Amino acid sequence: MKAVKRRKWITVVILLIILVILLTPLWWAVVLSFDRTSTMALPDFSLFPHEVSLFNYEMAAKTIDLIQYYKNTVLITVVNTVISVFTALLCGYAFAKGSFPGKKLWYIILLSVMMLPFEARMIPLYLQYKSWGLLNTYWPLILGNFAYVYGIFFARSNIAAIPDSLRESALMDGAGEWKVFFRIILPLAKPVISTLAILQIIANWNSYLWPLVVIRSQAKQVISVGVSLFNASQTDIYYGPRMAVAVLSAVPLVILFLFLQKYIVQSIALSGVKQ
Amino acid sequence: MKKRRWKKTLEWYSFIAVSLLTVLILVYYPMLTTIRYSMFDVSVMGYGEHFTGLKNYQLLIGQSSFIKALGNTFIIAALGLCTIPAGFLLAVLINGIGKGKLQGFFRVGFYLPNIITGVSVVMILQVVFKANDGLFNNFLSFLLHQDISIGWLSDAAYAKAGATLIYLWSNLGYSMLINLASLQGIPEEIYDAASIDGAGALARCLYITIPNMRSCFVFLFTTGMISGLARFTDLFILGGNNASGVPAGSLQTIMMYIYQYSFEKLEYGISSAGAMVLFGVTFIFTMISTALTGFFKDEK
Repeated sequence: MKAVKRRKWITVVILLIILVILLTPLWWAVVLSFDRTSTMALPDFSLFPHEVSLFNYEMAAKTIDLIQYYKNTVLITVVNTVISVFTALLCGYAFAKGSFPGKKLWYIILLSVMMLPFEARMIPLYLQYKSWGLLNTYWPLILGNFAYVYGIFFARSNIAAIPDSLRESALMDGAGEWKVFFRIILPLAKPVISTLAILQIIANWNSYLWPLVVIRSQAKQVISVGVSLFNASQTDIYYGPRMAVAVLSAVPLVILFLFLQKYIVQSIALSGVKQ
Repeated sequence: MKKRRWKKTLEWYSFIAVSLLTVLILVYYPMLTTIRYSMFDVSVMGYGEHFTGLKNYQLLIGQSSFIKALGNTFIIAALGLCTIPAGFLLAVLINGIGKGKLQGFFRVGFYLPNIITGVSVVMILQVVFKANDGLFNNFLSFLLHQDISIGWLSDAAYAKAGATLIYLWSNLGYSMLINLASLQGIPEEIYDAASIDGAGALARCLYITIPNMRSCFVFLFTTGMISGLARFTDLFILGGNNASGVPAGSLQTIMMYIYQYSFEKLEYGISSAGAMVLFGVTFIFTMISTALTGFFKDEK
């Protein structure tokens, strides 16, 4: 028994060492961002700033409008998450409980979208939005969310597990399917909603290529592209301000993660969706 | 009776109509357009696009820069697969300490890098992998007792290794999580029975753990290849928002090539042909994954 316990603690120590090595870059980035000496040169590694100051943050604030980027990204993330999760639940319900002609065909047509990578249709999609005069607006970022295909698949299999008896008694009382959906299915689908919402928030916060392509004006840009434009325009030596921006743009998701870590880790393990 | 059935059908279609329209207009129609464009000369949009057959594909294959990008993409995607064994080893270690608070702590701790925005990751690791005074080179110098100043991201000979280290750093937690879930799905009894029969730890790992995790490995392999082949964001940012694959084209993937031809050179025909090639190679892995995981099997 003693040997087993000792082996366990050796494993824990090994894991801790790996974890510390893995997380050191993050800690260093935070240290650099608060270090006055890192503004024009790269100081030696230290666990704490050589000279604590907010100078890098002030300098960053002067060169990049992070607050505007935050506002834009939060707006798009909220709108897209609500739209995609809600429509996914609608479809999930219809495909799980409904019976109507064409059900199987439409389901396959929807699911097959997962086999068509976004990259393969990006160019015509871009030209399509261009001809509609919608470039440099948020419509190209939003409209695609009315069909969240993975969400439909996930919602369907979860809603199928809800027993029919509740639904049938409501239908007997003369309720329509929409009423059943709002009164019975939606309240019971809370775990589905939270899983899909978490996946969508992370995906939207990190989306890069599509906003880069369709949004041209800086004032409308999302945070990931905005920050990368800032990074590309900086000379190599401004380590401190660059780290300050990197930290600021990472903070919202890290906070979200620390609060919801259990659910997030579960959602990823459950769905296998990579972000 | 007939009228009521019509009404019911209409009611169900009201649930799915919006999503159906969306995929038809924003997925299938553009997808078909990509196929069409790939066989047209659309270098100047709207001025006499004409059918050219497979000429765009011929141009593409004859171009050394495309062949190089294709090779880069496969090499970079394949190198990224190192996250699977790394995540497996990590999962075995974490599983070894038994369920409880400590395990939860490691699960969350190792997953943390995955949550950080791609741009921030690149900005931070760019400094870590710097040739002079970079944290990683300093660490290596300390371990090996000699001065190391490799340009992990600035030297074309090392850039693919550097890009893989970035990938490993930001995806290790995900791979660990999926491996761990699969590992914990193996029934305890099989191990117990094997132990009674005198199987050692290594034998149990080789004959029980690894065969039982085959579908997990297949899943990680195919999804890893699919996302790896379309890799764009971090390499694009690494080059300073430049699609040429800095340093010296060593990090230009097919996706970056497509971006370059679509939005810098405005040769939509050629970039559409490139997109079709990317789609083709990706589709092979999608088919493997669908065949092996039986994605469409669950409805009858």
